[in-house]
Amino acid sequence: MSGIEGRLSHYVTRRTLLKTMGAGALALSTSGLAEACGLGSVKGTSTNNTKKIVIGYVSPQTGEAAGFAAGDNYVIDGIRAASAYRNGFKAGGKGYDVQIVVKDSQSNPNRASQVAQELVNSGVDLVLCASTPEVTNPVADFCEANGVPCVATIVPWEAWYFGRGAKPGSAFNYTTMFFFGLAEFAGCFVPMWDRMNTNKLVAEMYPNDADGGAFRANFPGLISKAGYRSLDGGAYADGTSDYSGMISKFKDGGAELFSNVPLPPDFNTFWKQAAVAGWKPKLATVAKVLLFPADVTSLDTLVNNIATDCWWSPYHPYKSSLTGQSAKDLADGFEKKSGQQWLQSLGSIHSLFEIAHAALTAVSDPHDRKAVAVQLKSLKYTGISGPLDWTAGPVPGVAIQQPVGVQWKKGSKWPWSMYVVDNSLNKDVPLNGTLTPTNG
Amino acid sequence: MAWLNAVVQGILLGGLYALFACGLSLLFGVMRVVNLAHGDFAVLAAYLGLAVITGLHVPLLWSTLAVAPLFAVVGYLVQRLIIQRSLEVSPLTTLLVTFGLSVVLQNAMLEGFSANSHSLPSGWLAAGSFRLTPQLSIGHFSLIVFAAAVVVIVSLQLFLSRARLGRQIRATADDAEAASIAGTDVRHVFGIAAAIAFATVALAGLAFGGYSSFDPGAGTQRLIFAFEAVVIGGVGSLWGTLLGGVVLGVSQALGAQVDSGFGVLAGHLVFLAVLAIRPRGLLPGRVT
Repeated sequence: MSGIEGRLSHYVTRRTLLKTMGAGALALSTSGLAEACGLGSVKGTSTNNTKKIVIGYVSPQTGEAAGFAAGDNYVIDGIRAASAYRNGFKAGGKGYDVQIVVKDSQSNPNRASQVAQELVNSGVDLVLCASTPEVTNPVADFCEANGVPCVATIVPWEAWYFGRGAKPGSAFNYTTMFFFGLAEFAGCFVPMWDRMNTNKLVAEMYPNDADGGAFRANFPGLISKAGYRSLDGGAYADGTSDYSGMISKFKDGGAELFSNVPLPPDFNTFWKQAAVAGWKPKLATVAKVLLFPADVTSLDTLVNNIATDCWWSPYHPYKSSLTGQSAKDLADGFEKKSGQQWLQSLGSIHSLFEIAHAALTAVSDPHDRKAVAVQLKSLKYTGISGPLDWTAGPVPGVAIQQPVGVQWKKGSKWPWSMYVVDNSLNKDVPLNGTLTPTNG
Repeated sequence: MAWLNAVVQGILLGGLYALFACGLSLLFGVMRVVNLAHGDFAVLAAYLGLAVITGLHVPLLWSTLAVAPLFAVVGYLVQRLIIQRSLEVSPLTTLLVTFGLSVVLQNAMLEGFSANSHSLPSGWLAAGSFRLTPQLSIGHFSLIVFAAAVVVIVSLQLFLSRARLGRQIRATADDAEAASIAGTDVRHVFGIAAAIAFATVALAGLAFGGYSSFDPGAGTQRLIFAFEAVVIGGVGSLWGTLLGGVVLGVSQALGAQVDSGFGVLAGHLVFLAVLAIRPRGLLPGRVT
């Protein structure tokens, strides 16, 4: 079992254990009855009618996407210690104890679906999930099908929305999310490209998977409005070990800008081979990789001045709606406690629990799943991720964050640090670095 | 020029495949053992390499000096304690035993090292290259791996044909019973062959770890390339394995030159074509 679950058991006191067992026995007996009568689950109503709210959380704590979840333990410990969670939620004039159940998707969509099922069957009131479509989509799908409210983050909204079969104009009833999408990727990268003196030809490394497909279908159109042309490297398979063909295509085509959305190990292989082949784009703006310090260290100096998107950092002037701590406090606390460098997902995961608090305390009965879902879809609040508004999203159930452009440069405290070099989309975030060509 | 580059990069990649495949080829050639845990042992070597590199702060190249001998010992023990016993039952049993080993190793690594992927830090080797023309560069790391593959295969071939122990291994491979009558300790000789094979597996694991990245499940994915290299080259021939690796690497690189999604598939197609047209491989050897 993962460490986080071990830690969970540590938090279960004798009192809550007895309560949980009681609730478990109750849930067991009612579900047994329902099954005996051939009823199955009844949508929209929680089987949990106790004085306790249970919140499930799913993220990829191990596996290839584990970098996203490196701060989970710290954030969830902080949430559990926050007075709102420690003292319980107040909703409809009643007090409720709050329990957080953490599950690991192991970066595997099948496993994500399985743990979502475990959570739903155990009668959770709300499911939170984060990081990559491989986690958020199966979890959200399962919640939608079983009528359990769900909030997702760190997934491009198109991958979450269209990737789950939604059509423009349609809406999900129980599942919501906040993050950003392709328009914001383009909105973040294009101003940086504009500041480089290039031939406006963008080399595109998009794999043959969900994210790659979304970028291939939409990104060329978005950037052509700003006068940029695309050079597609081809839909390679994830896990390819030789990129010489793609690199020579980029080189022969004379592309001076680079955009991608690969798996981290593939970018590692590609970028080493590009350096060997001497392909040096003036500015590399990467998506999905180099978001976190763990990806950065294995490439070492090759990472210098690669740009990427940043949706949360200690430089964001935002405060937690739960604890009042600033973004900087949260990041500093993580560095102090873990001895590791801060990462962007800290803010997003913290916000998931802010949202859970906001929605579950705004309804008269937190076990009323329909009411909670309605609340989530009309929520408007400001927390550690800045202002989030579900009424203004591109589609129902989606709130948009505005990322800023950052570059990895040599740091003082850590070997490599992120510096904010472009804030075209979000002027709240001050610049603290100068945009420099990846290859001068 | 792009096509020439594809061929050159393919040959270099082929060196990696050949290095990876030669342990498989040797074990099959000598003992008729198909080691299905071959890829998983390579991944285990990469994890050991990572521990040595980060623990002792030595460069990747030096870590081979620690990992390869250690793996030779592991190989001898695995052969004597596990494979030899199954060998005495039936060839099918060895297949099942190595398959079981593969499953056990993968899950043990998953438990011990988690599913996170790693890459071996290769320092200046990672990006260094010889720029021959603007279109054609040869990476230092790929070149070292290719050279290692050639050196390993040439010295193995020399060892088997010239050295006393090598001749003993060949004699045992040809007729274990006769060799045993002539006073050869067959089990010990098989153990030595396995030790050599495992040392090459360790080198291949480290090479793969520096070339891209690895996780506990990576071995099984890559085992297919080793099999293809062995079969294309000709079962039981080390020269064939080198040629097979290169043919596979070049077909993949040329395929990817046509279309990025076509690389791996092109390798499989060439493999199938060789199986259909020359089922014994390009350089069918006598045993070893």
